[in-house]
Amino acid sequence: MTQATVAAHRIHDTAVRIAISGEIDLANADVVQRRILGVITNQLTEVSVDLSGVTYIDSAGLRVLLRLGTRLETLQIALELLVPPDSPTRRVIELSGMGEVASVRPTPD
Amino acid sequence: MSDRLRRIEAVTDTALAHLDVEDLLTELLDRVRDLLDVDTAAVLLFDPTARVLVATAARGIEEEVRQGVRIPLGKGFAGRIATEKRPVITEKVDHAHVLNPILRDKGIHSLLGVPLLIGSTVIGVLHVGTLSTRHFTDEDSLLLQLVADRVALATHARTMQIEQAVATTLQRSLLPAELPTVPGLEFAARYVAGGDGEVGGDWYDVFGLPSGWLCIVVGDVVGRGLCAAATMGRLRSALRAYALECTDPAHLLDKLDQQMRHFEPDTMATVLCAMVEPSCEQLHLSSAGHPPPVSVRPGLPAAVLELPIDLPAGVDAGRPRHTSTMAFPPGTDICLYTDGLIERRGSPLDAGLERLRRSVFAGPAESVCAAVMSELLGADHPIDDVAVLVLRRQDRAEMGPLHLRMPAVPVSLGLIRAAVRRWLTGTGADTDEIAGLLVAVGEACANVVEHAYGPGGGTVDVHMTIQPPDVVATIRDTGRWRAPRGQVRGRGITLMRGLSDDVRIEQTGAGTHVVIRAALASQGPR
Repeated sequence: MTQATVAAHRIHDTAVRIAISGEIDLANADVVQRRILGVITNQLTEVSVDLSGVTYIDSAGLRVLLRLGTRLETLQIALELLVPPDSPTRRVIELSGMGEVASVRPTPD
Repeated sequence: MSDRLRRIEAVTDTALAHLDVEDLLTELLDRVRDLLDVDTAAVLLFDPTARVLVATAARGIEEEVRQGVRIPLGKGFAGRIATEKRPVITEKVDHAHVLNPILRDKGIHSLLGVPLLIGSTVIGVLHVGTLSTRHFTDEDSLLLQLVADRVALATHARTMQIEQAVATTLQRSLLPAELPTVPGLEFAARYVAGGDGEVGGDWYDVFGLPSGWLCIVVGDVVGRGLCAAATMGRLRSALRAYALECTDPAHLLDKLDQQMRHFEPDTMATVLCAMVEPSCEQLHLSSAGHPPPVSVRPGLPAAVLELPIDLPAGVDAGRPRHTSTMAFPPGTDICLYTDGLIERRGSPLDAGLERLRRSVFAGPAESVCAAVMSELLGADHPIDDVAVLVLRRQDRAEMGPLHLRMPAVPVSLGLIRAAVRRWLTGTGADTDEIAGLLVAVGEACANVVEHAYGPGGGTVDVHMTIQPPDVVATIRDTGRWRAPRGQVRGRGITLMRGLSDDVRIEQTGAGTHVVIRAALASQGPR
């Protein structure tokens, strides 16, 4: 079974950093989505998702991030994705058109 | 008297040899009844596990067997004979002291019973009874004992034979009929019973886990015969169950230890447990009192692995266990075995281990296994049983195309990825190439999982081969893709195209196949 961990770290009252590590595919995408949504409260203004620990992501995983992006856009919460240049997921994120709904950066600002 | 003896000879007639134990006993009891002119005759056999005598055959009081009468050792008439190991005559049965309600209900008046002895061990009781008062003489008693001795030998031999046959069947059924197919790895295994043909508690096991890890176990339950084989089966199942939950072999053996302390308190086993990472790059090993494997890499001499040997399982569940990690590069062979392989009477263990070390070489697993068996066992029968398992990681030259067939379900995706990653690493593809192809192939497989089949399900085939300078991956299904739902399909195909040089999708009535082609830098210029 594909395994991923989701760890949330509150940066301040209105900002959270969510670090994901492991692999995301069709087998666990729903679980990952539930865990991410579980740590996002209505009080937040900024969400940063750190993908540096992700070793594999496919379109099912991208769907989770894209849906998160559109959902947060509606709620007017900013989404940032952290993807280091040497990450195995960098190409996939680049090809996904993720830039439309999130700001993709190599490291936090 | 000579007439009687002749009839006893008839009782132990070898012509009865084709009967199974129950039929043989019934036949013998009929003859005994006739011989001594009694109304009932019964054989109770001792069950050493439950420490009771179990009615196994009876004539005149057949209910005894049908109702499965069990008499505790030392209790009642039969129990007393078994404890005292001598004939007992009761002329006037005191029904207050008879445990067996059937004897009571039948109104047995007089009883004569003798032990069934093998050496000084009681294996059961033979008793006869009459409905009227009968004065059994010493001569009757001697005669019955003579019959009992022959009955004991016949049943014992037959029981041993059956037990051995059952143990052999059980042992064979518990060893994997077929070792798993893992792309990039080779396995070879042997099991040989001890010198007298008796099986013991040695076993080997290889199984993949949903996480992509591979677990390899070689173990040896102390003891022989049916009991050891049955225990081995339970330990093997326990380890398989625990392996679903953890990947650290020391932790796995800890759990086994706790299991044994609770459920198998009188058992001890030596176990070597190895876990292979999904990438195959590393092996993690832990030994519970088990001799260390021998490993060899190309161009280097074979070596006995230096790893801490912890206590055997079933001794003391509290002691710490250790896991050692070793690199497992392509071209490496590892030989795991049980001590029967290296033990020889009158020869130190180190000598056997050294002979093993010298017989292991870097080569195909089957050849290594054959060489080890021939070198160490030759034409001898080992004293103890022997299990040998050789694991090889193929080198680049040995790696053929990759063939996988998996059920088209989401959990297969991780396993396919692990196999593709391992195969691509073997071809010398670089990290970026591997990362891209994993997603391209993964997308094609995810499409099959999501779109190819109805609720009945089906399979996904992955075939990968090198056509220099390209790697060509073909992903096939035998379903009919339904129209895409949502936007995922479109995105998946964008990814496949973005991460490879060419993607072709062909749909026919027999299914769909997706061919992905990408140049690898290691396979020469484009």
